Amino acid sequence: MKIIMDGKEVAAERGQTIVEVARRNGVYIPTLCHVPALEPAAMCRLCTVELVEGRRSRLVTACNYPLRGDAEIHTDTPMLRQNRKVLIELLASRCPNSEVLKGLAERYGADLNRFPGEEDRQCIMCGLCARVCERVGGNVLALCGRGVEIRVDTSFGRLSPTCIGCASCVRICPVNAIRIEDVDGERRVIVRGKEASRVPLRTCSGCGVHFGPVIDLNPVMERAGESRVPAFNVSVCPACSRRNLARRLAERHFEQREVEPRDAGEEG
Amino acid sequence: MPEPEATCCQEPEVDFVVLDRIIRDEFGGRREAMIMMMQTIQRRYRYLPEQALYYLSQVLDVPITKIYEVATFYASFSLVPKGKHLLHVCTGTACHLKGSGGMVRHVAGKLGIEPGKTTPDMKFTLETVNCLGACAVSPVVVFDDKYYPQATVGQLNEFIEKVNAE
Amino acid sequence: MTTASSTAPDLAWTKKISSPQELAPYRQALIESTDPDAPRIRVCCGTGCKAVGSLDVLEAMKTAVAAAGVDVHVMPEVKRTGCHGFCSRGPLLTLEPQGLFYQRVKPEDAADIIRKTVIAGEVIPRFLYKPPGSKETIAKVSDIPFFAKQTKLVLKRVGRIDPFDIRDAIAHGAYEGLAKVLAGMTPQQVIEEIKISRLRGRGGAGFPTGIKWESCAGQPGRHYVICNGDEGDPGAFMDASVMEGDPHAVLEGMAIAAYAMGSDRGFLYVRMEYPLAVQTLAAAIRQAEDLGLIGQNILGTDFSFRTSISTGAGAFVCGESSALMSSLEGKVGRPRAKYIRSTEKGFRDSPSNLNNVETYANVPGIILHGGQWYTTFGTERSAGTKVFSLTGNVHNVGLVEVPMGTSLREIVFGIGGGIPNKKQLKAVQTGGPSGGCIPIPGKFIDINVGFGKLAEIGSMMGSGGMIVMDENTCMVEISRYFINFLVEESCGQCTPCREGLTRMRETLTRITQGEGREGDIELLEEIGQFTNSFSLCGLGTSAANPVLSTIRYFREEYDTHIRNKKCPAGVCKPLYYYEIDPEKCTGCGVCRKRCPAEAIAGEKKKPHTIHQELCIKCMECYRNCKFDSIRIM
Repeated sequence: MKIIMDGKEVAAERGQTIVEVARRNGVYIPTLCHVPALEPAAMCRLCTVELVEGRRSRLVTACNYPLRGDAEIHTDTPMLRQNRKVLIELLASRCPNSEVLKGLAERYGADLNRFPGEEDRQCIMCGLCARVCERVGGNVLALCGRGVEIRVDTSFGRLSPTCIGCASCVRICPVNAIRIEDVDGERRVIVRGKEASRVPLRTCSGCGVHFGPVIDLNPVMERAGESRVPAFNVSVCPACSRRNLARRLAERHFEQREVEPRDAGEEG
Repeated sequence: MPEPEATCCQEPEVDFVVLDRIIRDEFGGRREAMIMMMQTIQRRYRYLPEQALYYLSQVLDVPITKIYEVATFYASFSLVPKGKHLLHVCTGTACHLKGSGGMVRHVAGKLGIEPGKTTPDMKFTLETVNCLGACAVSPVVVFDDKYYPQATVGQLNEFIEKVNAE
Repeated sequence: MTTASSTAPDLAWTKKISSPQELAPYRQALIESTDPDAPRIRVCCGTGCKAVGSLDVLEAMKTAVAAAGVDVHVMPEVKRTGCHGFCSRGPLLTLEPQGLFYQRVKPEDAADIIRKTVIAGEVIPRFLYKPPGSKETIAKVSDIPFFAKQTKLVLKRVGRIDPFDIRDAIAHGAYEGLAKVLAGMTPQQVIEEIKISRLRGRGGAGFPTGIKWESCAGQPGRHYVICNGDEGDPGAFMDASVMEGDPHAVLEGMAIAAYAMGSDRGFLYVRMEYPLAVQTLAAAIRQAEDLGLIGQNILGTDFSFRTSISTGAGAFVCGESSALMSSLEGKVGRPRAKYIRSTEKGFRDSPSNLNNVETYANVPGIILHGGQWYTTFGTERSAGTKVFSLTGNVHNVGLVEVPMGTSLREIVFGIGGGIPNKKQLKAVQTGGPSGGCIPIPGKFIDINVGFGKLAEIGSMMGSGGMIVMDENTCMVEISRYFINFLVEESCGQCTPCREGLTRMRETLTRITQGEGREGDIELLEEIGQFTNSFSLCGLGTSAANPVLSTIRYFREEYDTHIRNKKCPAGVCKPLYYYEIDPEKCTGCGVCRKRCPAEAIAGEKKKPHTIHQELCIKCMECYRNCKFDSIRIM
């Protein structure tokens, strides 16, 4: 299979998407709603490129187009740049303060103030939070509504009881519109300023600090394909757990000799 | 399956026997028929009660978020109770050319609500519909399932006044 | 006394027809059991006529017939049928054996019609059709240009049969094609015949049907045959009429497709706004199953095909094939990029063949008469006929079926009867929200309908909606209307459609409200180009067509709105007001009585005036004034 990208022949395997091929070969294609670990959604349309197969030329999104035969791809023509510019300008109207949009605006000469919006919706509707929540999380976030009313929300707009507090949504949001606050023994997930869930945090029986959410591990393990929940001590925080392990190792290793156990506070 | 917070201590507003009949008997418990199940539930209760959707989620083993997405995606679904009288104004192209837009504005103004909403006294719900297929007799209005061809604003005023007088 | 259609003793209604060869004798027996010269009254009960009370007319006719009793030596049959097509004249009926056409019939006319026409054989002048501008009436269906100039292939049974009685459909040829297939054609032969016919999809995209079937048939996995009955284009009711008037044509087409593709399972996706279609299709499936024409072991062979109906829930986007399949699976109707074809992985990730209602309805005829026969209609690129729903400012609003290649002039004037109220034709809009407006001055009136020509000039034939616009139509307002429709129906997942169309709507709304700015046209073109190129699905990639085509052909109208803040057609409400010309006003009072805002004052026989502060600009007075005394300022 012969793939030519921006005039150069590039290495590609049958079935790979254009973005995969581009990344392997150091070619830049802008994306917003694409994360390699998740199924591509092709929602933002920013990665649209020109594809020529035989005599047929058309525009396709690079993130989900599977290459199955010889093809020629143009990733950065004036027409593509012009359309990307308009795309960024339109997104800026609903999300004016986003760093990632500012970066893209510079690259494509977009005017972030071209379409003044009424409010900062803090969302570019990339769908990543809902997609990752469905894939690894507790199925908390949904893309509700339709058309211009489409929004990320929990069912019935209420605090969701199925959240596992994994904070994948926080990490994946390109415009940092989701955050967690660990406070008063609870983890609060706040999506665009509105609370989506509250998950109680565990208390360490060793040092008393709050750590990690209290969740039902079974569905998570099932989704990961694990049949059993591994035995582990859920009442001790990672730091104390490390300390305890170190102490046991030291005791076992040095038990023939008299060594003073180190103080917990001097832990490196 | 966690119970929805708001209704945990209230009387059930749905009859689970009826829901079972719809979900299992009428549609064989098929997840693919979920939209039609929801349409049947809505016809029965004049909207989609939250309890019904949570029950559906349980029986079909579908996350509630997926059901909520469906309920908010399709225009015919309503999560709030509809009024006693449904007024549908067709806004297809043929009806539009005959002034249906003006009719919608007039009725909306008279009832004091936006299209798609219900009056506070729960008497009327005003909705627009995209083409009923009766284009020759546009503009078409459907009031309580009865079709009114070449409807006029005057006719609509009459219905509203008649209902209000009851 | 014999009845017009009594069933012979051995035609047990629920007994399955046990082989393909037995269908012909069954049909023959049905035909022989009816007297072709017996009086027959067909009352149109399509959605349009139902809306004007045709069901009451039907009941009244039946009652009148029963009451006539002993005066009649042959009992007339009164039957409900699907849409006759001449929707602006309803309630309407046709009378056999004379072949008469009666329009605007009321229930109270029933007794008269039975007594005078059916029994005494007289024609009643007041029900006869009179062509616009003519003094002569026309009595026979076959003489009325609206009907005479059409070529009914898809619609041949619509309006003639009772859609709730399968025997009527069979007597008129239903399932002959399927019987021929099952009597000895191979799946490959079936596909070959469809390919020879050059049939192209009738839903708008025009993909060659034979090639689609062939590619689906070649895929591994369980095959599904799906019918797209989600006719969402506003102003289009072709598919509605076929589903309501001749559901068996669709079922037969689907069964033949299923045979060709080795499928055993089908779905009909019907929009919920068509409750009558759901009823007729459900009845048709039940009755066909009873007779062994659908379901297990069709016509006693080992070919089985089961089909069921799924309804939409109010989403135009579900007419898009991948969104439709998603909706069929009980999910939200969001389209997905079609880089893997649905003929390969569609419904349930399996090879699926999706065709439009009209496409399937064409199939039985092609199988019966041969693909070659089909190509004798239409043109090289567009074989066969097309059903159009002709609406808007035209005399004969209704359903029109013509061969591809017919000119717009023939459709609008020859069949449509031209423009009422002495207005000028300004444009014809085809293809619904995905299509464009064809301006009429110039050669375009002679353009031929088909897949190629219309696209060349910036429009498209689409699924068949054809809207005739007169001089009082504002092209800017029309493009705002279509963009608004698409903004409301957009699924919302992709940036160009969701954000781009919203900005276009905003701009067009400003222009129609007198707040247009220099640069607005260029902005519309820039965003329109963007949405047409970058959108995820067909809704988005064709959304800008009405705007771009109206800018291309009616740019001056946009300029007048923007620069002069005026609407030449007199439509854009904030830009004009109504005034009564005191010299023309006769004081008849019609406008005063019709005005819903009670904004018109005046004494009888004296000129009236409109109180501007009360006027809601609904156009009631303008539309109803017979003296042309209302001016648009």
